[in-house]
Amino acid sequence: MDRKQCCVKLSVQPSRGLMDEKFIVLVQNVFPGFQLTLHALYKCEDGHSWEAFAHYTASAIGTVNISEDPSLGGTYSGVEPMGLLWSLRPVPGSKPWLRMRKMNVQTPMEVTISVYPGYQTEGFLDQVPLAGVVVERWYMAPGVRRIPVTEAGLTATLFLPPGPGPFPGLLDLWGGGGKLVEYRSALLASHGFASLALDYLTAKVTIETGKMVDNQYFERAYKVLEQHPQILSSRIAIIGLSLGTSITLKMAVYSQVAKLRCVVCISGSHVQPVDGSVEQIMSFFNKNAEKTRFNNENHMICRDLLLPIPTDPSLKVDVGQLQCPLLLVVGEDDQNWPTHESAMDIKEMMERAGNSHLLTLLSYPDTGHLIEPPFTPFAKASSFRAVSSRQKLVALWGGETAAHSRAQEDAWRKTLVFLRANLYGGVNTGIASFSNL
Amino acid sequence: MGPKIPGGAPEPSTLDGNCNNAVLLNHGGVRWKNSFRQSPVLTAAPVRALIDEQISIKGSFLPPECPVTVCAQMHSDDGDLWEAFAHYNTNADGTVNLTKDHSVGGSYLGCEPMGLFWGLQPAPCAREGLRLRKKNVETPYVMLLSLLEGHVSPSERQSTELAAVITERWYMAPGVRRTEIRQDGVVGTLFLPPGPGPFPAMLDLWGMGGGLVEYRSALLASRGYASLSLAYIGHKDLPGSLTHINVGDSYFESAFHLLQDHRQVCADRVGIIGLSFGVYLTLRIATKTVVKPACLICVNGPVGSTVKFSDPDGRTEQFESDQKYWTYNDQGHVSFKDVSLPANLSAESKVKIEHLTCPLMYIVGEDDLSASSIESANLIEETLKAAGKSQLFTCLSYPGAGHLIEPPYTPNSRASLWSVKPQKLVTLWGGHPAPHAAAQEDAWKKILDFMERNLRRELLIKKNAGLKVPLCSCTI
Repeated sequence: MDRKQCCVKLSVQPSRGLMDEKFIVLVQNVFPGFQLTLHALYKCEDGHSWEAFAHYTASAIGTVNISEDPSLGGTYSGVEPMGLLWSLRPVPGSKPWLRMRKMNVQTPMEVTISVYPGYQTEGFLDQVPLAGVVVERWYMAPGVRRIPVTEAGLTATLFLPPGPGPFPGLLDLWGGGGKLVEYRSALLASHGFASLALDYLTAKVTIETGKMVDNQYFERAYKVLEQHPQILSSRIAIIGLSLGTSITLKMAVYSQVAKLRCVVCISGSHVQPVDGSVEQIMSFFNKNAEKTRFNNENHMICRDLLLPIPTDPSLKVDVGQLQCPLLLVVGEDDQNWPTHESAMDIKEMMERAGNSHLLTLLSYPDTGHLIEPPFTPFAKASSFRAVSSRQKLVALWGGETAAHSRAQEDAWRKTLVFLRANLYGGVNTGIASFSNL
Repeated sequence: MGPKIPGGAPEPSTLDGNCNNAVLLNHGGVRWKNSFRQSPVLTAAPVRALIDEQISIKGSFLPPECPVTVCAQMHSDDGDLWEAFAHYNTNADGTVNLTKDHSVGGSYLGCEPMGLFWGLQPAPCAREGLRLRKKNVETPYVMLLSLLEGHVSPSERQSTELAAVITERWYMAPGVRRTEIRQDGVVGTLFLPPGPGPFPAMLDLWGMGGGLVEYRSALLASRGYASLSLAYIGHKDLPGSLTHINVGDSYFESAFHLLQDHRQVCADRVGIIGLSFGVYLTLRIATKTVVKPACLICVNGPVGSTVKFSDPDGRTEQFESDQKYWTYNDQGHVSFKDVSLPANLSAESKVKIEHLTCPLMYIVGEDDLSASSIESANLIEETLKAAGKSQLFTCLSYPGAGHLIEPPYTPNSRASLWSVKPQKLVTLWGGHPAPHAAAQEDAWKKILDFMERNLRRELLIKKNAGLKVPLCSCTI
């Protein structure tokens, strides 16, 4: 090749961005029509390497702009500005069924983006690229404060936005895998919401006593937000995913203590013993454990455990009594929970009760269970150890890479609009202003 | 469910002013009494930027046509507080957008998207004679940007703050590698861009202030150029006394070769950038030594040595040893400008500009009070013209700009502390805030463009024109 290597220019703007921010990847100074491969490499906290790649043809002026030009093949195709991130997958030879979750949110995700000559599909690490840059992706904006919370027996982390406040508050609940998962709260704080990530399955008190937390545990978490001098007690919401949705709906409808402005429920269901404790909810699921299915690859499908959606009112949160706006987000290919069916039932219950004007439903085709903040690698199935069973299996979450990734981007954007409208907006804002959505 | 006053706050008091819907809370900060209005928000994008990148600052959800102040505060590496502020009146839609709206008072006037950065000045409590220079280029400047109610000064921030955002401004892009160089007698710091290379490169020279100044090199590496900041005076790892230049031509040749021979540098794409006395060195290296730079960038510097030589290889006496051309203003601040007037330079120290063989960009600050830049530029232009080499010369000249034309969006010091012994001496650099800032912004773009053309694309163009070109020594 007679092309002078030092001419090729690769740039990514911004080089330091938030995890949910888009970037522009630009290649310049190659020959018009030049065929090249863009490659992304990420080494996660566990030491596993992830990669993505895509094939492009340089324009008539010798450039490739990922935001405008189509990928002609690779781990994604078409015009996908963020494809290099959401199509990341473990490099060949990796342990199977990995899921990428950053647990240390105080450091950025560092991704190396490189350009290689020609259309390549493998052996990237054995070659020297034409150019390479490093991009940092942050969960925390500068000035966001991370504060561990252990008062009132809680295992939690509070993230406060920079500035004088006071800020609206969010209680952030994840699902059956347990642990203290901070990344969504860190991002929400970066968008101006004080956010409390709460561990309610593997909390210190549970580890030490062997007992699951009771309903008051969640109300104590709510009170931490309500009483914080930099948080507006009248502007508190809950965001829950999976089992976290069960807790969220329960609190929204039945808690005497929690006065919520709105709730966000992702990939969850209202089916549960009404106002049961966490323990009771989990044993309810386990009672139907024989409905667990396995596909050809021996991946566990749990969606049938809650089907059919019961008609018995003692087995469903009475969403007809909900008094605050509800954003319901579901993936139509969810193989872990029957979220689509639950959503239909919730809608029907609210229509019958006359409060369906509070409901906003986002339902995404070819989208699975793990609807998370955007631009991280998609996992259709991954190793999962449920806190209840302690068995290590591979759970099928569902979804197709591109559709699921697009759904995450759309759902996150709409979640932020919904939260802003309800938590930053005026008193009489009952429903989000959907002209923005 | 109505609006609640946050728990623990006693009866709030109302602020005076045009927009008296604001309520002062006892724990500080301001909240709007009328909850129909969304709380004010201040955003900056990107929140983590390189020093030479623009940041868009916007305030939203404010009352329409109301006075607000946007205020910036940060600490230098030495711990001094620097601040800037500007007064705006919000738009009809309750926003203020620093990329479009006009400041009506404060550190700058008019539409200045980056005014809060180049308009920074030492806080009233700060020490005198300060100049903002980043010593540790591996950490960012952390800046607090606040939105304040009314047209106020930064000292009133605590009681009027509506919203805030924190930005980080970096000299190093992710992946840029910093290496200290103490090799072959060379004292410097090398910055390499991320990636395999090979890269075009720059040798980076500063002035008589001495030491090792890294921030311009760090930025150049962030823009894809390997860059070596070189110390030649006033550094403990250099031989001899701190106040003399004890290194000669061979030192600069070693530094240039070190860069050229680096396996990640394209040997035929190495240029030199110099400011102040660094200009003289740049021109001397290019015309008197064996090295052949691909291009030169000179900012506000002399065409001959402003210090007496102690040997023919360029080692010198002390800069302060000859003060006959120093002038003083009413405050006792010294201007070195006349020292570098071509007529005042010794004939043997003047560089033989006619021997230049590569493109040269000379940048002039017309209000330069430290060097005779206009005269120097003219002399270079005339000499090259006489030698039939005008095509090598590009000159940028900026009215109102001073001596210290540095990377953009950083504040200029019109004067700063030069020395404390034998007595405290403040030196004049010149430059007025707004024109100097504009000069830095424009010059940096043109510098990068010049480097792009001469260090990255040049061979390609020559190749297409059918000219014989040396093969790049880097192989693929």
